[in-house]
Amino acid sequence: MNADSPTDAIIVTHNLTKDYVMGAETVHALAGVDVEIKRNEYVAIMGPSGSGKSTFMNMIGCLDSPSGGEYVLNGQPVQDLDDDELARIRNREIGFVFQTFNLLPRATALHNVELPLIYAGVSSKERHRKAAEALGIVQLGDRMDHKPNELSGGQRQRVAIARALVNDPSILLADEPTGNLDSNTSDEIMEVFENLHKQGQTIIMVTHEFDIAAHAQRIITLVDGKVSSHDAEIPHHILVPASRTVEATTPAVPLDPTISSPILPGEAV
Amino acid sequence: MHFWEGIRLSLQQIWAQKLKSFFSLLGIIIGITFLIAVITMVEGMDRYVKEDFAGSLFGVNTFTVIRRQQVTTGRTDEAERRRQRRNRELRMHDVEVVLEAAAGARNIAYSASSGGEVRYGQNSRRNIRIIGGSADYEAVQGWKVETGRGLTAIDDKQALQVAVIGSVIAERLFPTTSPLDKRIRANGYRFRVVGVLETQGGFTGNIRDASILIPFSSFQRTVAERRQEVDQIQVKVNEAEEMAPLMVSVEGALRRDRRLRPGEPNDFHLQTSNDLLSAWETINKILLIALPALVGISLVVGGIVIMNIMLLSVSDRTREIGLRKSLGAKRKDILFQFLTEASTLSIVGAILGIGAGFGLAKLVELFSPLPASLSVGAILSAVVLGLGVGIASGFYPAYRASKLDPIEALRSE
Repeated sequence: MNADSPTDAIIVTHNLTKDYVMGAETVHALAGVDVEIKRNEYVAIMGPSGSGKSTFMNMIGCLDSPSGGEYVLNGQPVQDLDDDELARIRNREIGFVFQTFNLLPRATALHNVELPLIYAGVSSKERHRKAAEALGIVQLGDRMDHKPNELSGGQRQRVAIARALVNDPSILLADEPTGNLDSNTSDEIMEVFENLHKQGQTIIMVTHEFDIAAHAQRIITLVDGKVSSHDAEIPHHILVPASRTVEATTPAVPLDPTISSPILPGEAV
Repeated sequence: MHFWEGIRLSLQQIWAQKLKSFFSLLGIIIGITFLIAVITMVEGMDRYVKEDFAGSLFGVNTFTVIRRQQVTTGRTDEAERRRQRRNRELRMHDVEVVLEAAAGARNIAYSASSGGEVRYGQNSRRNIRIIGGSADYEAVQGWKVETGRGLTAIDDKQALQVAVIGSVIAERLFPTTSPLDKRIRANGYRFRVVGVLETQGGFTGNIRDASILIPFSSFQRTVAERRQEVDQIQVKVNEAEEMAPLMVSVEGALRRDRRLRPGEPNDFHLQTSNDLLSAWETINKILLIALPALVGISLVVGGIVIMNIMLLSVSDRTREIGLRKSLGAKRKDILFQFLTEASTLSIVGAILGIGAGFGLAKLVELFSPLPASLSVGAILSAVVLGLGVGIASGFYPAYRASKLDPIEALRSE
């Protein structure tokens, strides 16, 4: 653990690059990213499509290895680790929350939450205890034996969050966590994140919705594989017409979360 | 720990798609069914031959002096057969030599037999065996008398025309009355029935149940028409270990009596049930090698089907594999998961095959004298084969799954 390091940084990247060779052309998905994220920070990563934010998230999540540069996670350089070591890091240090929940359809909520513990080699008794505890944190203690198709979208995402938390990861890495949810449920999930943050959890969230990103303490904006801004100020090229005020007055209209422009009553499908 | 989980999950999947699973396992099921049926039947046959057939033909702990070898193993040597055809026939004199040489034996019996027909009033039966046996014949053969009495030394000494008849003959000639003390005609000669043999039944029983036994001396005077030949001299001992020394002693006595020079082959043959058993062993070995080879072909087909199913399953569940990897599953975890699934699948097939194969063998048992004998070895080899097919056919799909890139896998639909 690196809690007493001078910067107290949990993620440090230095000149992180990722190149993809496509035929004769080389695409620089990440062109030297320098980022530092502190313990207990709540950071949103934004950027237009093609900006490299997905690639960056895969790097942060140890799903992919960089072409160059350094990545130090929780005091440990991880840029040169092999597949199995990366798998171990993903298991212990990172809790993923996906846009599409990614729950095993045939397994109960409890069993879904137990999955990371299985790969951590935790005994079955201990697995049950920890998974039940994690489900308690997201207020699903009474839904442990339900299968995903017996749960609402928000409940499914909460199961996924419990699964991400169950191994006490250093960071919670959420990729468009509200992308498949309506606005009320989105608020519910953002509330869960906020509570976790208050309890000391480091959260990194990738999103393209500003109103979701606004929950974070800090917004890192990527453009063309580089960091273009480090603070909460909204860069103009990704600023979209604010729709929250319209929604707030017409809560009955379901909002397609992937469309950021205002939807007028009567137009919604 | 996720070993059991893997098995549980695969069983769930099999159960969820019963029909599909059945068809995908058909190859394995058929293969194992025949494997088990064949092994079960061959082993049943084996037990039958060793315990029943050989014993009832030659008697337990019994050796027989005959003119020439009856049962041969392997390729028949034509020259040897021609040589044996020149063997001297056995006579009463040889019986005396054997009686003297095997004095310590439990029983010694000599006999001759001939085919024939038997008649009582309007009832008759053809294709029967008329056996002329010495007093100890029943004892050596292990035959028991159901009603009346057996043959005695006095019957033989006085050449009385009495007969003990087999149960099939008793039923045929005397459907309503008791056969005792009735006078029957065998090949035209009159005999008084003094006893009826116990029914033996089964495959070998056809011979005994359709035989009549008369004193050896009477046989020579009547049915044999003064032919002096003795077909066989049987020596029965109490313990198996007594056989070898007695056989050496009998062989030596006969050779001396017939003035055979050292190195000259016997002009008679000593037969034990081992002759038959070793012939059977040869057949048995061929069956147990050739048949599983055929079974192997259907197992290979079964394995290919399972490989296909697993490849399909891997591509269906690419996203799940990506998810598991993102949650910390290592390559070997994924490899192991899919290997477990393939093995569970094929072992379920093997278990169904064991059931079906045993059922098939039981069916054969119902319609033949062959007992179905399901051995632990057969079950074990079926399960091991099933497991082997599962691992062999599951390996490639599992390997492909383990090599999937988690990012690509998570992105797939």
